[in-house]
Amino acid sequence: MRCLHHFLITPWAVHCGERVRRLLWQEWRNRSAKRVLLFVGERWSAFFLVLMLVVFSLWAPHFFAFKNFTNILYYSTLYVLLAAGETFVIITGGIDLSVGFVMGFVNVCASIVMRNLHAAGHPQAFSMLIGALVGLALGVIPGLINGLLVARLRVPPFIATLGTYGMANGVALSLCEGFPIYFLPPQARVIGNSFLAYLIPGKSFAFFHRPQNLNADDLRALIGILPATVFVTVVILIVFTFILGRTRFGRHTYAIGGGKDAAIRAGIDVPGHLVRIYIISSMFAAVAGVLYVFRAGIGNFTTMSSSYELFAIAAVVIGGASLMGGKGTIGGTVIGILILMTLETGLNITGIPSFYRYIATGLILIAAVVIDQITPERRTISD
Amino acid sequence: MKKTFGLVLILVLSVAIAGFARPGVEEPQELTFAYMSGIADPFMFMIEKGAQAKADELGVKLMTAEYPKAWGPEYQVPILEAMVARGGFDFLIVVPTSTEALIAPLKKIHDKGIPMITTDTYLGDGDYSKASNYSFPLAYIGTDNELGGYEVGKRLAEMIGKEGKVYINTTNPDVSSVSGRRDGFLRAMKEFPKIEVVGIDYNLDVQEKAQSQTAAVLQANPDLKGVFGTNLFSAQGAYRAVVNAGLTGAVKVASWDAGMDQINALKEGQIDFSLAQKPFEIGYLAVEWGYKYLTEGAEVPKKIVPGFFIFDQDNVDDPDAQQYIYQ
Repeated sequence: MRCLHHFLITPWAVHCGERVRRLLWQEWRNRSAKRVLLFVGERWSAFFLVLMLVVFSLWAPHFFAFKNFTNILYYSTLYVLLAAGETFVIITGGIDLSVGFVMGFVNVCASIVMRNLHAAGHPQAFSMLIGALVGLALGVIPGLINGLLVARLRVPPFIATLGTYGMANGVALSLCEGFPIYFLPPQARVIGNSFLAYLIPGKSFAFFHRPQNLNADDLRALIGILPATVFVTVVILIVFTFILGRTRFGRHTYAIGGGKDAAIRAGIDVPGHLVRIYIISSMFAAVAGVLYVFRAGIGNFTTMSSSYELFAIAAVVIGGASLMGGKGTIGGTVIGILILMTLETGLNITGIPSFYRYIATGLILIAAVVIDQITPERRTISD
Repeated sequence: MKKTFGLVLILVLSVAIAGFARPGVEEPQELTFAYMSGIADPFMFMIEKGAQAKADELGVKLMTAEYPKAWGPEYQVPILEAMVARGGFDFLIVVPTSTEALIAPLKKIHDKGIPMITTDTYLGDGDYSKASNYSFPLAYIGTDNELGGYEVGKRLAEMIGKEGKVYINTTNPDVSSVSGRRDGFLRAMKEFPKIEVVGIDYNLDVQEKAQSQTAAVLQANPDLKGVFGTNLFSAQGAYRAVVNAGLTGAVKVASWDAGMDQINALKEGQIDFSLAQKPFEIGYLAVEWGYKYLTEGAEVPKKIVPGFFIFDQDNVDDPDAQQYIYQ
């Protein structure tokens, strides 16, 4: 018996134990692989951004530099604002094509007011404040028109906002007659290009005040920390991330995108809500327009070939939103814009000729979204 | 109902016929020039201003077609056709937005007996002196962009000591005027073996884009010596990037056009020189030659080049130079 046990059962038991152990190990491995995949899948755009930053840092000399990252943030701000507004609209299942030209329209209006007040001898601060406020106030109008057309008259958002796209462009061009607006208060450009802090490594550090009378070497070494326009943008984004994620307004926005009928049955004032959504989108564009005035120090209309709206829409989708509505976050959109800007800046720094860069940008963007589609998400995996 | 409709139809038709019949019958004395621009921008407005000034001087009328919102035959041709349908002009000053696509629509107008001059841009290769399917315009009046680009290149090369890295920021790869500037600049650089052109970027007329592209190139090439911005928006963006990087003076900025912002930047030493075209003169000359052709049957030279004016930090305040600022 003992022998039998020794010769038959023990090896069998050992064999079984081995099998079980292997199965368990495989199961555990599968699960953790699944979990890793899930983890990456749900944050794919962020991982992609990090991946790009790593690749460009290794590939392109001078990419990994504080100044360069500041530049990427700086040149992202206008796009981020346009795309954040667009996020609200896309979550409801709509689209806003007018954002780029609303930005130009507000830009031209604000700068004309600033120029005229400044020319009339008013203090610079007063001229700038009134100009900015007038610009922001006028920014409500295109959004209101879009919202009323979409919500009350049931015009498809694509057509309604294409209408305001043309009108905003036309009004801007006729106001400025195709010229940039010059002779704004000189302080505007100073404020728009200021940083929250300045550092000359090993020499000096100052909050708000740019060191004066620097020699050429110090001027090159001067590091600006957090551009003022980026700071303003971040504050606005935090507020609206909260509104979208944590308030009833935000929940209603997602509900409308998930299904209008259900939203109506749930007692949501869908038309009223949609009007507010399009006004929010327009206001974001207006803020971008006003910031642009401060940065350029002149008023610029939006040129037809600029395609701001396509850039904004692409970022929202790369950030994980669905053009069918019901999905999307501001954080995702910010990552979407950062991906686009990093790609552009990174490829530029590598020195690849521009035509090849267009091809590369197209390929990488498609790849990013395709991978996003095939990596699992909780909904599809937890059957 | 049918009767009313018929009546309305007859009314509309008779008005239309009257409209078509008007030129030639009435006012045989007063000449009308039409100006069809290429895009809404300061340069095109300056051509109109110049044309208007000469028209006022000669006592002729100038009618201006709607300014296309963007560059391209798909925007320009419908406006052109609508203007021809309305009629009422004897001479056309046109900025063709395509060297090929505008040949047929303009030929149609020419065949109606309306002579024309193309300004700023041209049809085909711009040579109207030899017979071809595009040689029907009386003349081309415009800047020699290639030559301008070449002069800018030479001057920038001298400024940086004939060696080092330079960079071009321009608007579109498919527009004859800015491509000419780019190519002329590149031709000049070939004469300086120690100069390297590190890149060409296309900003699509967006100043922020020009600025971010230039910033990236400055980041990649800390030893960059010179930048050429080929128009208003390119130059404004390029010089802002140089200023923001604290590289004013170390990186020479060559610019094209003379908007107020560029002029101010010149005065502050942020732009080193800027080539101004003479759009006012282009419009002025177009009306002048058109008038001579219509009234005296004068022979119009096939190509008229008004030349340019180069602003630099020394002459920017000269009273004589002020006329070349676009405003």
